[in-house]
Amino acid sequence: MKLLEFEAKEIFRAHGIPIPNGVVINSPDELRDTLDGFTDDVVVKSQVDVGGRGKAGGIIITKKADAVIAAEHLFSFPIKGLIPKAILVEEKLSIDHEYYVSITIDRSTREPVILFAETGGVDIEETAKTNPHALRRGGFSPLLTEVPGYVMREILGTAPKELGPVINNLYKAFCASDALLAEINPLVTTPRGVFAADAKLIVDDNALGRQGITANRDLTPREREAEENGFSYVELDGSIGVIGNGAGLTMSTLDLIKHYNGKAANFLDVGGGAGRERVMKAVRLVAGMPEVKVIVVNLLGGITRCDEVAKGIIDAGVEQRVITRLAGTNEEEGKALLAKNGYQMLDTMEDVVRQAVKEAAA
Amino acid sequence: MIYGDHTTGTIVQGATGNQGAFHINLMNQYAQETGGRGVVAGVTPGKGGQIVHGVPIYNSVREAVAEHDATTSVLFVPGFAAGDSIMEAASAGLELVVAITEGIPVHDTMRALAFARMEGCTVIGPNCPGILSPGEVKLGIMPPQLAMPGHVGIISRSGTLTYEVINELTRAGIGQSTVVGIGGDPVIGQTFSDVLARFESDPRTKAVVLIGEVGGNLEEEGATSTTLPLVTYIAGISAPPEKRMGHAGAIIEGGEGNAVSKIARLRHLGFPVAEKPSAIPALVKELL
Repeated sequence: MKLLEFEAKEIFRAHGIPIPNGVVINSPDELRDTLDGFTDDVVVKSQVDVGGRGKAGGIIITKKADAVIAAEHLFSFPIKGLIPKAILVEEKLSIDHEYYVSITIDRSTREPVILFAETGGVDIEETAKTNPHALRRGGFSPLLTEVPGYVMREILGTAPKELGPVINNLYKAFCASDALLAEINPLVTTPRGVFAADAKLIVDDNALGRQGITANRDLTPREREAEENGFSYVELDGSIGVIGNGAGLTMSTLDLIKHYNGKAANFLDVGGGAGRERVMKAVRLVAGMPEVKVIVVNLLGGITRCDEVAKGIIDAGVEQRVITRLAGTNEEEGKALLAKNGYQMLDTMEDVVRQAVKEAAA
Repeated sequence: MIYGDHTTGTIVQGATGNQGAFHINLMNQYAQETGGRGVVAGVTPGKGGQIVHGVPIYNSVREAVAEHDATTSVLFVPGFAAGDSIMEAASAGLELVVAITEGIPVHDTMRALAFARMEGCTVIGPNCPGILSPGEVKLGIMPPQLAMPGHVGIISRSGTLTYEVINELTRAGIGQSTVVGIGGDPVIGQTFSDVLARFESDPRTKAVVLIGEVGGNLEEEGATSTTLPLVTYIAGISAPPEKRMGHAGAIIEGGEGNAVSKIARLRHLGFPVAEKPSAIPALVKELL
């Protein structure tokens, strides 16, 4: 889960990373009472979970006197469709130089890796493409609790040594918060020292519980229902509903729909042990999307009970056509049950997908 | 065979939970059919002395291996405790841990893998269906009824999609040497290249099907690491960016790891890429 800038900064600050003085406000009025704390220019930053926020107009540098007007504007200014619930107002730093630093996990070496560049504040993906040598990498064993000196020397090169402790603290924050990504872009040097001018932190979804984070994402009611039922669910924009078991098989079903020029409405992985109740809930959930004309159920597994799945589909009793492919225990019973109730069950994934694409187009 | 055969003695960690007990039974049924040793002991802290489907339970891996000759663990321990259990198995001297568990925090996985590597213990998974060598051994949860013995190896990041491919191959009369589910998490113990290295020294394996998906670039890394003939398939060509497609590792981040570019790179390197699972058997036949 992606944290917002101010949330990430609170965590970074707790790990000894210097953060600009600032306040988080939930309405422009709150700013009126806190403006006294600022001396000169301020930076007003929309707190939305969107990349390229600055370019989109979500960050305003202004005189202290105009800060409330800027905040009023940002509170009603959508960035890529999102309206902020909070705004961060910070002192404007006098910046000598901007750097880039992030810590992530290298899937290939299975180790944390630090990425560092001497030019920060820019789109780092662009830098990686156009000037890959500008991005220095340093990986090390995840069993270490500090960034080893040789790695720090390699990534810093001739950059100021005072960045070292900040990067080391970023690694500690990265570990302590179960982060998949901890990024400071830009990390700035000023006459008053080093500061994290921006902050990004993505927390591992598998660790939200022990991090004490309750998912605060803006879910649609259907996404929330899927999450509560333990389904993996992604909404797309086609007319063929898809229910599968296992992420790979479900993805592959979506791909096959695309292969035959159909458009899937969603990705729904019911997970292991697809029983009667879970299948019923999944079918009803997908059928609840108004765009869905036909639903594909593709379940495969040695221990999946096909008769139970068939009962779940029948229990759901949805308006749309449900076309099924089931392979597992009690396959024949499942097929007979479905046939008796007017549902179609085909033998292969290929067959169900082609049939569904045909019906969706009709 | 790679990773194990019918002589492999196995313990199950997390043996008294629903999943653990259920699969002890299925693994031992398969061992009976193949004349294998199967699961010889189970481990659940605090449940020592119990019996699950005829298998004795111990409080620790150390106690279990003191009483039984075992080299391998199949792990069903819940996510928050699984990293620790991998380290326990490694420190008790086991050679192989097959981590079925889904939902292990990735920092735990990373540390457990680094620790296991120092102890000389190989880890498969986590978040994987395990290993099946048809007619020999089943270390995990794969349904053996779809498979048949033969000469094609399979390596996959997925579970049920692997069963789909096994099913397609078997229906086409192509048997499998060993099927390895390496797991759907971003950080996994054995990657495509590690498993391919094992297949290279396995006389039974003549060709390998590599089943990948969106996220990362382990598929390309694996494909270029081997001299074995390969057929590849990549799931997720319809996956939107920045959305987690079920697996924690199946996410296109910062424009990286999307299926179109993976497929393009594999084709550019000269590997056959199947457009759909049902196209895999024909491509495999061309290699054999």
